[in-house]
Amino acid sequence: MEYLKSGIKTVLGGTEPGQQPSAAETVEKLVDRVYSSTLLEDRRDACRALKALSRKYRIEVGAQGMPPLIQVLQNDGQDAEIIGYALDTLCNIVTSEEFDEEADNPAVSVNVGEQFTEMFIKSPEHVTLVMGYLDEYDFRVRRAAIQLITSLIANKTRELQDLVLVSPMGVSKLMDLLTDTREVIRNDVLLLLIELTKGNSNIQKIVAFENAFDRLFDIVREEGCSDGGIVVEDCLILLLNLLKNNSSNQQFFKEGSYIQRLAPMFILSSTNSSDLEECGWTPQKVSNFHCMLQVVRALVTPSNQQQVVSACQRVMQKSQLLKALCDILMGSGVPADILTETINAVAEVVRGDRDNQDELGRLTAPSQPPRPAIVVLLMSMINEKRIQSLRCAVLYCFQCFLYRNVDGQRALVQTLLPFSPTDFSVLTMGLLLLTGLLSTDTLANWFSAVAMMHALVDNVAQKEELLRVLLGTPGGQRPITLLEQCTNLIQQERCRLQSKVGLLMLLSVWLAHCPSAVKALLETQGTMAYLTAQLCANEHDEREYLVQGMCAFLMGLCIQFNDNSLPNQRREDISQLIIKRIGQETFCNKLSEVSRHEAYSRACKQVQIRAKGASELLLDYEYCKLYKGLEALLAKQVSGFDVDGIELTELTLSSEAAALVAQYKGIIRGMDAQIQTLQQSSKDLEQQNSELKEQLSQEQSLKSQLADQNTLLKAQLAAQSPPSELAQLDNDVKLNAARYEANMYFTVNIRLTKELETLRQQLAAEKQRADAANEKLLATQKDQEDLLELLADQEAKLARYEPPATTGEAPPPPEPEPAPAPALAPAEDDRYYSCSVKI
Amino acid sequence: MSYAYLFKYIIIGDTGVGKSCLLLQFTDKRFQPVHDLTIGVEFGARMITIDGKQIKLQIWDTAGQEAFRSITRSYYRGAAGALLVYDITRRETFNHLTTWLEDARQHSNSNMVIMLIGNKSDLDSRREVKKEEGEAFAREHGLVFMETSARTAANVEEAFINTAKEIYEKIQEGVFDINNEANGIKIGQQATPTNPALPGSGGAGGAVNSGCC
Repeated sequence: MEYLKSGIKTVLGGTEPGQQPSAAETVEKLVDRVYSSTLLEDRRDACRALKALSRKYRIEVGAQGMPPLIQVLQNDGQDAEIIGYALDTLCNIVTSEEFDEEADNPAVSVNVGEQFTEMFIKSPEHVTLVMGYLDEYDFRVRRAAIQLITSLIANKTRELQDLVLVSPMGVSKLMDLLTDTREVIRNDVLLLLIELTKGNSNIQKIVAFENAFDRLFDIVREEGCSDGGIVVEDCLILLLNLLKNNSSNQQFFKEGSYIQRLAPMFILSSTNSSDLEECGWTPQKVSNFHCMLQVVRALVTPSNQQQVVSACQRVMQKSQLLKALCDILMGSGVPADILTETINAVAEVVRGDRDNQDELGRLTAPSQPPRPAIVVLLMSMINEKRIQSLRCAVLYCFQCFLYRNVDGQRALVQTLLPFSPTDFSVLTMGLLLLTGLLSTDTLANWFSAVAMMHALVDNVAQKEELLRVLLGTPGGQRPITLLEQCTNLIQQERCRLQSKVGLLMLLSVWLAHCPSAVKALLETQGTMAYLTAQLCANEHDEREYLVQGMCAFLMGLCIQFNDNSLPNQRREDISQLIIKRIGQETFCNKLSEVSRHEAYSRACKQVQIRAKGASELLLDYEYCKLYKGLEALLAKQVSGFDVDGIELTELTLSSEAAALVAQYKGIIRGMDAQIQTLQQSSKDLEQQNSELKEQLSQEQSLKSQLADQNTLLKAQLAAQSPPSELAQLDNDVKLNAARYEANMYFTVNIRLTKELETLRQQLAAEKQRADAANEKLLATQKDQEDLLELLADQEAKLARYEPPATTGEAPPPPEPEPAPAPALAPAEDDRYYSCSVKI
Repeated sequence: MSYAYLFKYIIIGDTGVGKSCLLLQFTDKRFQPVHDLTIGVEFGARMITIDGKQIKLQIWDTAGQEAFRSITRSYYRGAAGALLVYDITRRETFNHLTTWLEDARQHSNSNMVIMLIGNKSDLDSRREVKKEEGEAFAREHGLVFMETSARTAANVEEAFINTAKEIYEKIQEGVFDINNEANGIKIGQQATPTNPALPGSGGAGGAVNSGCC
């Protein structure tokens, strides 16, 4: 500092003793010197002084110094030293970081760097100018330029990205710097690229195109992979930037076999086990590992393109990456946050891929006795001593394990069924979930209910299987079903909100599309009364609202998927209950409480459950998906009821049935049009036919005339044969003429006969065509009749649902065509029946 | 999958000439009739065999629209081959070839193999550019020429493979500096060096600064 002060003194030529010039004045003098000095040395000294002042008097230097510094950059390019000073000074001015020297200066606001950045990039040439100095090999210049650009990007990311993109080979030039042999430069470029690639897929793609993946893996390897320093972390962060939400780069990463280069990095060397375990995980290694796991997840996260995800999942299995992750999972001494993130990564690597799911299912934990890894994971999920993020990760992993995994879902339900070998010393998935469901830990209830729910998603067979699960009761009374147990739990006074939400989600997914589960629920004691009470309650607590909404949804499902097999619990009965006890408006209002709750939008966002605190664990993604699909339908269903019964118009038909009716209408309309065209064509053909017949008769009469003439001529010829010479001659001439004439007639005759023949053929062909057309016409008419019958039958069915004395408006006739009422076609009848069931 | 060589390609040309369709036909063997505008650049890859050697093609399909030109220019330098595509049913796409070629020559490395492609040969009834014209243009500028149809897949394989053959021959002749990855060529593990300049192990080449462009 002393040196700098003396430097300033020499530059300024000394000041009068006792009177220190203000910072602004000093800067002004220096700026003046940079502008006006003819000697490079003087300008250089002034720049050096400005640089020294820029940390403490950033505002003064920035306000006055920017134009002269830019001038230096424009004119003094041949002198590396002055350029280095100028770039450093600019860098100090624009950086968002606060210097120690200015800490006690109240004039420096937080975003002063950002404001100076804005000023600097106002003319894009300034940026181009600085970019140009990247080509300069001199260490001081290149490094200062890199740092300045990094600061600029950090402050004004979007603008700088656009400027770099339009500057010729801008990104490529920056990428070239990554091969600089001076490590400091290389590391600074990494920081620059991290800033540059944030949220800009075009730049990300160019960086990847310029062999970034190769470069980064080379650097990571040189630096010692996960054991390396912060440079490894920087490389991984850049890698993450390049891959996140960029399907083109993800595909390139997969195609370029980089997953195979990533996989070995996850293998923990077995040499540093036991005593070295603890110190093996330095904070840096934890950070590095965290980034590596993020890279894996960036490739297979459910929001990526499905195609890319499954391709990457396959490669991750083949390249043993999944195995390495599983080893970490089962390893000892792994820090909790790494373990959590590894579980999340495993979850996404197996999600929806049967081979990977099977591999996870086969994994055995090195415990005594050896247990499946899944079981060990579930044990920590229901263990309230474990940290919440870990428990969430396990749930995520488990639901990914069951996602589109029919066998996995069946295996879980099987472990609960009575006839399965129940050796209670062996912990099974099902047993653990039951334990969690009945636990006193409300989070364990919630986790277990959601986990169980995922065994039923899109799997009606397992929904029915799970109905058979019986639980023994402590009092030695008759065993009760799992479903009964769930409804009992909900109704218990001490059941807390989170447990209720979990159980309601489980029950809703269970009942959806499964009439036998609906029936089972309706048969349980007091459930409907409980639901009604909930809906009538007038609690003013936001969280109570959520439960009420979920109860309404469950009740709606009881109507929607009711097969009417229970007397007094048919759809009409439940709807009457709603009308009389709750009111349709209230019901619909309560139903929409779910989607109005903030937990709903949070859960809809992504498959993974994210919660900051335990109280945020409420709704699940799959439940929300189901809700989203059915909410409107249920609301319409309930509001379509009448006080006296069901108003079954086309509107209240289930969407499938309505679609079916519309489809039939379309078919009938199409056939109608077809019939008309066929009738027209048959008329045309008939006309043509009669014309041809007429023509034929004309030809025939002509022919007979000709034949008559012919015989007449022959007779004449025979009569005219006198022997006299003269007459002979005369006769010869006449004969010739007659012969000629006869020949002519003959040819005409032949031609006409031929013509006649072709006409006959034509006639026959036309007749055939007419016949065919008629046949087709008949067939189409028959089809139409069938359809009309069908429709009439449907109408009859529809009518049957109407009460004999409707007070409401009569349903409009669904079909405009008058249709005879025929006997039912049995196959079609079945179809209709199944439609009506789904209403 | 191991490969002997890896070539980077780019596909360039006016918007709507069928660049993305050519790539889709080559990588997925299917045709998508709906014009889906490419935003920036999209990536595709496929393995081919030349001379009994596995060659991996990594292809960057660029947007033809003028707005993306500065972005797509960044891809010229690192590519070993370029497919320059025009539409035989639209004369203006042929007229723009000169601009495209200038752009490519200016920003790419001098050895980049450029294949000229007249696409949509299945629409012969709407043809506006004669095959002979394409041939003449290619001859004049030293390009390889081919008419293709992304719809019927006619000549699509050939277009990509012939370009690769050309690059392969240049490697054999020693024209390409294959240690410089900035040329768009990478040597894989299974390469058997026929060129004395090749290193035995291959893999990641050294850090060599680009000498061209």
